[in-house]
Amino acid sequence: MSIAVLLKQVPDTTSKISFSGSAVDLSAVTKWSISPYDEYALESALKLKSEGLGDIIAITCGPSRSSKILTDAAAVGADSLVHILVEDLIHDSRNIQKLLSSALNRLNCQIILCGKQAADTNSGSTGPGIASLMEITCVSMVSEIKIDGDDLIAMRNGPNGQEEIQASKPCLFTFDKGTEELRRPNVRGIMMAKKKSIETLTPSDLSVELLNSSVKFDSQISPPEKPPGQKFQGADSVASVVQKLREEANVI
Amino acid sequence: MEISIIAENIGGSLNPVTAQIVSVAKILDGEVTVVCPGGFGVEEAAKISGVSKVVSVEGDCFANFDGMAWSQAINSAVTGEILLSSSSNFGREIMAIIAAMRDIPIIQDITDLSADMAITRPILSGKAIEKLEIGGSCCLTIRANVFAAAGNDGDADIKTINHTSNVGISVKEAIAKADEKLDVSEAEIIISGGRGMGDPDNFSYLYEISEIIGAAVGASRAAVDTWEQIPHSMQVGQTGKTVTPKLYIAVGISGAIQHLAGMRTSKYIVAINKDPEAPIFGVADYGIVSSWEDALPLLKTELEKLVLD
Amino acid sequence: MAYTGLDFYGIEDLLTEEELMIRDMVRDWVEKEIIPNIEEACRNGVFPDKWREDLGNMGVLGAPLKGYGCPGLSYTAYGLICQELERGDSGVRSFASVQGSLAMYPIWDFGSEEQKNHYLPKMAKGELIGCFGLTEPDYGSNPGDMITRAKEEGDYYVLNGAKMWITNGTIADLAVVWAKLEGEIRGFIVENGDPGFSAPEMKGKHSLKASITSELVLQDCKIPKDRILPGVKGLRGPFSCLNNARFGISWGAVGSAQACFHSAKEYAMSRIQFDNPIASYQLVQNKLAWMLREITKAQLLAYHVGKKKDDGNWIPEQISLAKMNNVDIALEIARMARDIHGANGILDEYPIMRHMANLESVKTYEGTHDIHNLIIGRYITGIQAFTRTL
Repeated sequence: MSIAVLLKQVPDTTSKISFSGSAVDLSAVTKWSISPYDEYALESALKLKSEGLGDIIAITCGPSRSSKILTDAAAVGADSLVHILVEDLIHDSRNIQKLLSSALNRLNCQIILCGKQAADTNSGSTGPGIASLMEITCVSMVSEIKIDGDDLIAMRNGPNGQEEIQASKPCLFTFDKGTEELRRPNVRGIMMAKKKSIETLTPSDLSVELLNSSVKFDSQISPPEKPPGQKFQGADSVASVVQKLREEANVI
Repeated sequence: MEISIIAENIGGSLNPVTAQIVSVAKILDGEVTVVCPGGFGVEEAAKISGVSKVVSVEGDCFANFDGMAWSQAINSAVTGEILLSSSSNFGREIMAIIAAMRDIPIIQDITDLSADMAITRPILSGKAIEKLEIGGSCCLTIRANVFAAAGNDGDADIKTINHTSNVGISVKEAIAKADEKLDVSEAEIIISGGRGMGDPDNFSYLYEISEIIGAAVGASRAAVDTWEQIPHSMQVGQTGKTVTPKLYIAVGISGAIQHLAGMRTSKYIVAINKDPEAPIFGVADYGIVSSWEDALPLLKTELEKLVLD
Repeated sequence: MAYTGLDFYGIEDLLTEEELMIRDMVRDWVEKEIIPNIEEACRNGVFPDKWREDLGNMGVLGAPLKGYGCPGLSYTAYGLICQELERGDSGVRSFASVQGSLAMYPIWDFGSEEQKNHYLPKMAKGELIGCFGLTEPDYGSNPGDMITRAKEEGDYYVLNGAKMWITNGTIADLAVVWAKLEGEIRGFIVENGDPGFSAPEMKGKHSLKASITSELVLQDCKIPKDRILPGVKGLRGPFSCLNNARFGISWGAVGSAQACFHSAKEYAMSRIQFDNPIASYQLVQNKLAWMLREITKAQLLAYHVGKKKDDGNWIPEQISLAKMNNVDIALEIARMARDIHGANGILDEYPIMRHMANLESVKTYEGTHDIHNLIIGRYITGIQAFTRTL
């Protein structure tokens, strides 16, 4: 049985973001990484592989530079690597969902793991959208997956705690913060990774026509400067500060 | 144009964010229907000002949360052209599934929106703001606590639809949240104490507040070095942890450069210190010159009120 | 801000994908395991066993050695590993240098097949720790006149003497000890537990505090005859080892310098004095620019000598130049960085004085700064100036 892991390459979360014209300057990004929630999915897949569940197919949909994260995945143990090559930024998740589900349908994976949302778009549409298109079970906010005989038990995070979910296959799981961080590669893994070939697919290979979306990109800008700090005398100001935290800062 | 809002429940009642989503629907100027999955919060939804109809979708599949099953049931009951929900984990999942079912676009976590559907949303963990335009049928999820809530003098019609979907999951066991202390490096909100707290036992005030707002409790190096009871794992600063929460509340912390190194990139900083010249006020967005003894009890009360709101 | 390393002349573009992945693997480990724990390790004078285990698991020990379970990486990759380890702490890099270049390497190059198969795979995994016994209390820069001697006695060699300043000694499972057999320097593998062998720790160091430094005491130490390294006689043996270690150090020093530069820059940008960040003042900018200049030059030296090592087209003097220059400027950068940090620079909140104190040792060991100068002086003139007849 193969375990598919969907990985997205994003600017490293420690990167400084700069702007060029009216968009984020992606060429100025110095470090690209696997999106953090996807890393939890990959670690879970590696653990399931070590418990004998099956081999791992790492899949990414993105421009040429994103093949690097497939090599990184191979270095920690991913067995096959698939790169759906699409160069341009896509502002409509539907295209990404169609491409990935088309690839997944061909691979016939019973288990698909991915992060709950990507660290660049912060949306979270891709995983559930793919489950919808493939008409398979979707379990979200997972922190861990365990094998129980023929079944998989997922720990799902909720507002009041966790639930042990038994899901019927085929199933797509989206990962919240997992119980384990992604393992570090070692030299052997890194040297073996360079021998792994990457299967590159185009939209036409997958018989997917990219649609012109009704979503029109306007601009990306720096967040507004925060107003200068406000200082208040005395404990009586606490009430108004708390109000401001809700209304001005929107942090509570 | 009909706008359908997918409501969410919190502990069996209507999540108050629904009233905020109604305000957003009013910006878009359509007829508002609130869809209540599983029959939760139906009466409350009907009272929100500006709601024309409430549709309660009920069925066995709503016993436990199953994203696909719930979405199928909700989708069958939704007749709106534009679908709205909050951008909670629940909202994002349901709306993404429904958008794929309907082959319509979805935009998540919207913080601003105009009548002609010019949309603003944060990306890259808030390091950038994205503006988009959308037309036609679509799913939109809205960030909580950005839009004002609509009033509650409404009186909408309520309709009930029964629907059974196939459920693909079963809940084997529910495990209540363990009373684990949140780690500072992961928390979205942190409240930290410094040597100004006077005694390590006084950190109990910080813990009380942390429980109300789901925060982690941190400490300055001075507190960690002075008091054995304050462990190094709580330390924020140059040799402690570097944190980037959305809110950092520094209590009785002077703001030495080593501490600032660990928390100055917090989105918002609140400082409580009785010394008006404390350097922490130089980086605080909201500084309160007061002893913690005076300020913390008030802070606790105000936060309790806010959270219950 | 997160550490990214300084790469002003784009050395990164010259590295292979694997070299970058290896560098990033070690950088990430240092970030997560060393940086949060090093100050305490130094305060307690401890090299945590977990670090040995992690280094073994990562597969970075004996980096450039091929076969026998060893990583078989390029010298550039070895250099990058040293750079990232020393960005954390010179003591951590010293552990790896000694293990790989001074203990594994002589067995790999001069050992018998049995010795190679017996020791190297376990040393590569970090399961066996090695150390290198060359320096003596009275013979540092002048190892050729060492007095540790070996005598053949039936099926054994009996060793007598003392070695000093031996990294890893007290925690080592084996020591490659250089001693004179019939007046000729030979290498011997002495194991922990051999009769007449002890390795007491040298305490009271102000430098390399997280590294274990020891004496090796050989009192009628009896070892089986098959422990001699058959493949080399004379100083060529230990000097070959030292050349490899020195190469790693030339990269390591760059890592230490980068750590100090990064800290100085971050500090200067946030420290406000007279209403401005001190980074806005000319004297501070002058210092930061000098640091960037020297780090860049040092990187180019290290990178180029690594390429020469990989091509097999190098002479020891080229390594001497890189080690000498890079450690020298790293120490100057550490001192300058301390100055920029002001009084804060003396606290272990900042890594500066730890690097500074460490680099004093790094400047002295593996050939002192002055000795490398004389190595180059001899290369230029053909005249050795290490010694003279009074």
